[in-house]
Amino acid sequence: MTERKIELEVLRYRPEQDAEPWFQTYTVPCPEEWVVLDALNYVKDEIDRTLSYRWSCHMFVCGSCGMVIDGEPKLACKAFLRDYGDKIRVEPLANFPIERDLVIVMDDFMEKLESVKPYLIPKEEKSLDEGSYLQTPAQLKAYKQYSMCINCMLCYSACPQYGLAPEFIGPAALALAHRYNMDSRDVGRKAREDTVASHEGIWECSFVGACSEVCPKSVDPAGAIQQVKFSSAIDYFTSWLPGGGSR
Amino acid sequence: MSRKPYQRELPKTTWFLRHARYKKYMLHEISAIAVAVYLLILIVGLFRLAQGPDAWAGWLAFVTSPLGLVIHLIVFGLSLVHTTAWFKAVPQAMRIQRGEQFVPGPTIVGAHYVVWAAVSVFVLILAGVA
Ligand code: SF4
Ligand code: FES
Repeated sequence: MTERKIELEVLRYRPEQDAEPWFQTYTVPCPEEWVVLDALNYVKDEIDRTLSYRWSCHMFVCGSCGMVIDGEPKLACKAFLRDYGDKIRVEPLANFPIERDLVIVMDDFMEKLESVKPYLIPKEEKSLDEGSYLQTPAQLKAYKQYSMCINCMLCYSACPQYGLAPEFIGPAALALAHRYNMDSRDVGRKAREDTVASHEGIWECSFVGACSEVCPKSVDPAGAIQQVKFSSAIDYFTSWLPGGGSR
Repeated sequence: MSRKPYQRELPKTTWFLRHARYKKYMLHEISAIAVAVYLLILIVGLFRLAQGPDAWAGWLAFVTSPLGLVIHLIVFGLSLVHTTAWFKAVPQAMRIQRGEQFVPGPTIVGAHYVVWAAVSVFVLILAGVA
């Protein structure tokens, strides 16, 4: 087994002692197959128990280990050391306040997720006895990609628009709204529209596309947002046609 | 325990220098300006044409002058950047579902290039070049 000495430069912020964040370097002996999260766990277990960071599954499904690694938003459990040099810089996700070390405050993200009504709004409620809402494989396919989000917030860290205008609802939440809008069992598009098709919603997006590039689940939130822009624009224009509904 | 979250600000004017992908985005945005400027030059050409032969000859002399050629080269380069960037993004914004499959991105992008080539040839024929 080959082992490498990696210098891990970790952004530290201890609210009780530190006025601002600073970098602390740990030297970690790393086996070839490790990911950055393994190296952090080594630090926590063997070198410095005060280091704080979030993780849970170690297999890219829980979405809790998002951090900025060598300037790029990544899941620490998916960032293989073999793809990095001997010095690796680890910072908390950008565009969020730092709670402590690599742990960010995610309240804003949670509120935004909630704001888009991310649940099925069926045409008519069915009781359990009436069975489930049926869907064909093709209907599933229409939204499946947008349902793969693991709420890791890498897209918010990559999005300069969110950094510059924090009121922006942002990539993952808008993609999630699109996911429900595209669901054949859902009729909630109108109910979501006030939030989604607003200035803080899709129209704040200038299609930098960074969100889709960093998304570990290929959700393509940027694509979702452009599709919503397109259908909202169509709605707007048809509303001016005779019989085109009210504005 | 009291909390004291630390807020880092994104520099308002220099944020795009932080990552190659942001610089690329800025280049796309700037390329739109080049296209707009070239449109203006063409519109001015139309006005000059309406003003008579002398005005037209003057405009023609400007666009074929060395400076005019340099402007053409720059605008051509930037409109290539603009066009390729947006063509690349089309499959994200336009998904075409057939049954349980989506029409593959490269097919959609390819179709755009075919139409682009066809329109270019048509314009060249109109202009008497080809
Ligand atoms: S859209 Fe992708 S990057 Fe954004 S939170 Fe979901 S999984 Fe993470
Ligand atoms: S630890 Fe769960 S996604 Fe990385």
